[in-house]
Amino acid sequence: MESDEGDEQQQEAERLPLSQRPEWSDVTPIPQDDGPNPVVPIAYKPEFSETMSYFRAVYYSNERSSRSFQLTKEAICLNPGNYTVWHFRRQIIETLHADLQDELAFVGRIAKSNSKNYQLWHHRRWVAEKLGTGAVNKELQFTKKMLSLDAKNYHAWSHRQWVLQALGGWEDELDYCQMLLGEDIFNNSAWNQRYFVVTRSPLLGGLIAMRDSEVNFTIEAILGNPENESPWRYLRGLYKDDTESWINDPRMSSVCLKVLSTKSNYVFALSTLLDLICHGFWPSEEFREAINALNTPDSGPLDSDLGRAICRVLECVDPLRCNYWLWRKSKLPLTVSSQ
Amino acid sequence: MEPATENEWDRLSSSSSDGEEQAASDGSSSQFNRQQHVAFLMMMYESLPHHYQYQEINRITLAHFAISGLCLLGALDRVRVDKDAVSDWVLSLKAHPREFYGFHGSPSSQLHPDDNGVLMHNGSNLASTYCALAILKAVGYNFANIDSKSILTSMRNLQQHDGSFMPIHFGAEKDLRFVYCAAAICFLLEDWSGMDRERAKAYILNCQSYDGGFGLTPGSESHGGGTYCAVASLRLMGFIEDNVLSKNMSSSIIDLPLLLSWCLQRQAADGGFQGRANKPSDTCYAFWIGSVLRMLGGYNLIDKEALRGFLLTCQSQYGGFGKCPGDLPDLYHSFYGYTAFSLLEEPGLNPLCAELGMTEFSALGI
Repeated sequence: MESDEGDEQQQEAERLPLSQRPEWSDVTPIPQDDGPNPVVPIAYKPEFSETMSYFRAVYYSNERSSRSFQLTKEAICLNPGNYTVWHFRRQIIETLHADLQDELAFVGRIAKSNSKNYQLWHHRRWVAEKLGTGAVNKELQFTKKMLSLDAKNYHAWSHRQWVLQALGGWEDELDYCQMLLGEDIFNNSAWNQRYFVVTRSPLLGGLIAMRDSEVNFTIEAILGNPENESPWRYLRGLYKDDTESWINDPRMSSVCLKVLSTKSNYVFALSTLLDLICHGFWPSEEFREAINALNTPDSGPLDSDLGRAICRVLECVDPLRCNYWLWRKSKLPLTVSSQ
Repeated sequence: MEPATENEWDRLSSSSSDGEEQAASDGSSSQFNRQQHVAFLMMMYESLPHHYQYQEINRITLAHFAISGLCLLGALDRVRVDKDAVSDWVLSLKAHPREFYGFHGSPSSQLHPDDNGVLMHNGSNLASTYCALAILKAVGYNFANIDSKSILTSMRNLQQHDGSFMPIHFGAEKDLRFVYCAAAICFLLEDWSGMDRERAKAYILNCQSYDGGFGLTPGSESHGGGTYCAVASLRLMGFIEDNVLSKNMSSSIIDLPLLLSWCLQRQAADGGFQGRANKPSDTCYAFWIGSVLRMLGGYNLIDKEALRGFLLTCQSQYGGFGKCPGDLPDLYHSFYGYTAFSLLEEPGLNPLCAELGMTEFSALGI
């Protein structure tokens, strides 16, 4: 895939107005009809207005020729958000039986500067869909390339998920997630993709089969950076719709205890422990001791109910969400003690 | 949004002071500069700088931000906006009967029928239609004069088998944004024949991620915008009751406690809201996420002072809001900045209907 946009940029710099091009001399451009009292009128640049006026002319007359095809390229480069231009280009591609591989290459060339453009990604999907399973490798390569520029590009991830589900190519996906997480363990998109693979890949055994190894991987990530929200959410997600197994897996509470014992970056450890307790987990005495040892500013005897005690600590150490922790505390069932 | 260059904002800075309210010399300081924002919106309303040409297909959306924005600031009646001219312009963008009979985003995709009266190309779409109706509500247009039937009947053709919506008849990406637009359109036209609500609900539920937020499509990463579209749609369709957090949460069709936890965790250390975990704060999520919390009855659980502080660092001295602290302002972040301040109950701003993204007065047709 070409990574530079030399072609398109060069053409922009050397642009001859359409009105001066002999091959367009027979066409009357259609100016935009803004009506008598336009709202939010835009101060269009001349080349923009001219290109769109010529586009309107061929669009209106439904001229699906190679000059129209070329014009849609120019219009896209000037106005990549205009979905009618992209749509007409697709109509021309079908009429002229244009080469789809060339089309992928074109999209590839302008992708970098239009990386968050919905129309570009939809167009890419349309071409890939026509090419079918033969396009798998190219599409995985393309999205990988785009993600190397921005590892959280939402469009790239959407496209990648569509490719996997529609065309296949699951073989290396878990490894790819692993690699991205190795580069940035805080990349929530990569965690999300990991979940996607683990739960949907036809090559893996499904969530329950994968759960054990995933729990171990996630706990390692948590212990490395306990302040990272992503693995905590992921860990909980591994037990989605299976609360019983979640509270009964000793690793859930033990990771909380481990983090609490370090006395730093323990906010998620506390909130996770709170959630476990709320769902029926019975904490042993060592949890109380660990929380006691935190020596948070709000001193005073620890509440006999461990859930309440945790809420009070969180009110101090996660002050942004103080109102939430007060509210959580108010929702706790009344119990005599934590055991 | 394309970033503006410094000199494109010269005319803004030269006409920014109105004398009525003294803006702080550093506009991003301790108060919401309502007067400055009104001036900014009026300038956008009258003419958008050329870098907005990339948004031109969605001009009606830009018009919605400007006009609904003025409405939020309580300024629509005071300024030089001719409401009849506005409704005329919006109505001129209505598609003539064929495929989806909604509204176009701009005249650029709108061509007149040929000599035989046949309209070859219909670029009307759901997002533009929602914006059109929002503007018409803001200017108090009588909805009895709108051909609802043609909009709603044709809209059903845009709903997919899985419950999602395509925005336009000739095909485009399908995701929660257009489910929201469809639900809002039905709600505003007071007629649910435009969509199959059960199927839409099923699609929305499939979009709830393992962490409680909603992605734009099933399987995708939970995201502030997706979460707003999900919850607002369910609210509009009647699947989530008022103030649900104070009621029996376990009977909810979505995982409410997890959603709540996810939403509140989106408030970052700088006081602003992020759209996804471990991403920077951005003005607009104060609306997308803030609205979700408002709709669920949990807005008071956030740290309002911290949020206000963050938003004020995104306030431009020229009026308007940018995406991040210190950024130049753009219409999109400005509008969502105003909605965020309305949620914060800033004096002088009209109350917001979170589900519809417009003032309560507009939504109720007052």
